[in-house]
Amino acid sequence: MSKTVLIVDDHADIRRLIRMTLEIEAYEIHEAANASSALRMARELRPDFVLMDVMMPGEFDGLEACRRMRADPALVRVQVILLSAMGQAADRAAGLQAGALSYIAKPFSPLKLIATLAAAGAAVQS
Amino acid sequence: MSAQFRAAVNADCTEASNSFGAGAAAQMECLITDLGRMVQQRNEALREVTRAHHEALLRLARAAEFRDDDTGVHLLRIGFLAEALALLAGQTPEFAERLRWAAPMHDIGKIGVPDEVLKKPGAYSPEERKIMNGHAMMGAQILGGSRSPLFQMAAEVALNHHERWDGSGYPLGLVGEAIPLSGRLVAVVDFFDALTMNRCYRPAFPDSQALAMMAAQRGLAFDPWLVDLALAHAEDLIALRDHINRSPPEFGPMITQI
Repeated sequence: MSKTVLIVDDHADIRRLIRMTLEIEAYEIHEAANASSALRMARELRPDFVLMDVMMPGEFDGLEACRRMRADPALVRVQVILLSAMGQAADRAAGLQAGALSYIAKPFSPLKLIATLAAAGAAVQS
Repeated sequence: MSAQFRAAVNADCTEASNSFGAGAAAQMECLITDLGRMVQQRNEALREVTRAHHEALLRLARAAEFRDDDTGVHLLRIGFLAEALALLAGQTPEFAERLRWAAPMHDIGKIGVPDEVLKKPGAYSPEERKIMNGHAMMGAQILGGSRSPLFQMAAEVALNHHERWDGSGYPLGLVGEAIPLSGRLVAVVDFFDALTMNRCYRPAFPDSQALAMMAAQRGLAFDPWLVDLALAHAEDLIALRDHINRSPPEFGPMITQI
């Protein structure tokens, strides 16, 4: 069965590029344009992965959405991977502290993203 | 391209470039870098698979040759000489290169010939001759029915390399151009190369004598046009053969060392 991915980014073009990247590996893909709809859709869809931008306009940002997902017992199996243009060590640490499985700086290597998802998927299965 | 279509394409491109922000443009660069890396990896992988494929073919061919010939270089020579003659005959480089790898398998059917026949010193009885001649059909059976164009050609060569231009060959007794070109080409180069190598039962014939023997079979065993080509370019073909003997290409050395 194909894994489900929720892509969260306020830029439609970035969502499109990530979608194109993941379609290489036949993931089932959903999209959200802000953190609050991401949280709602995550609860609804229970995706295997949430690939989420950190800085997004709205009530709260990607970091906060990640924290709330981690705090929700219904979403324990959902893995969050944060994508951000902020690539400093402190940004990465904040992302991991918020409960993200992995923190990827943008722009990122599509091959690396595919490998990260594959490794995370394999880790869950074993 | 129709004006309408061009307008549609232009509209599409404009829209795309307008909708890509700086972040997306940077991401696109990463995509393209990865794409380049993947194409490179794919090409390397394809080359590796092709090498492994060709090597497997040669080793298969050598398995059949192992019992009556102690060197794999004969097989390599047959391949390269057949390729050269095919090019001289105006065939495409694709055809010629395919023949390079297909030709060495022409005697693979000998694997199905019992030792007492294959290794029998002296003349064959009619019964033994029939068994020995079966190697052409057996080779075609071993190699035939493949989707791979290379194996298809190899099967064709195995089946037809003992057909004779005058129709007195085997297994089908085809005459003249009814014999596939691949088979006619390999018949000529195999004859020449076999004569000019040392065998346990006789020393190598000198090149000049082997060429004369080939000329004598013009229109009998061999396609007269191919014999004429081989004779006209004998120097080049002999130079190629000597070059292969001095430095067997690619995995040639590896095969002979095993």
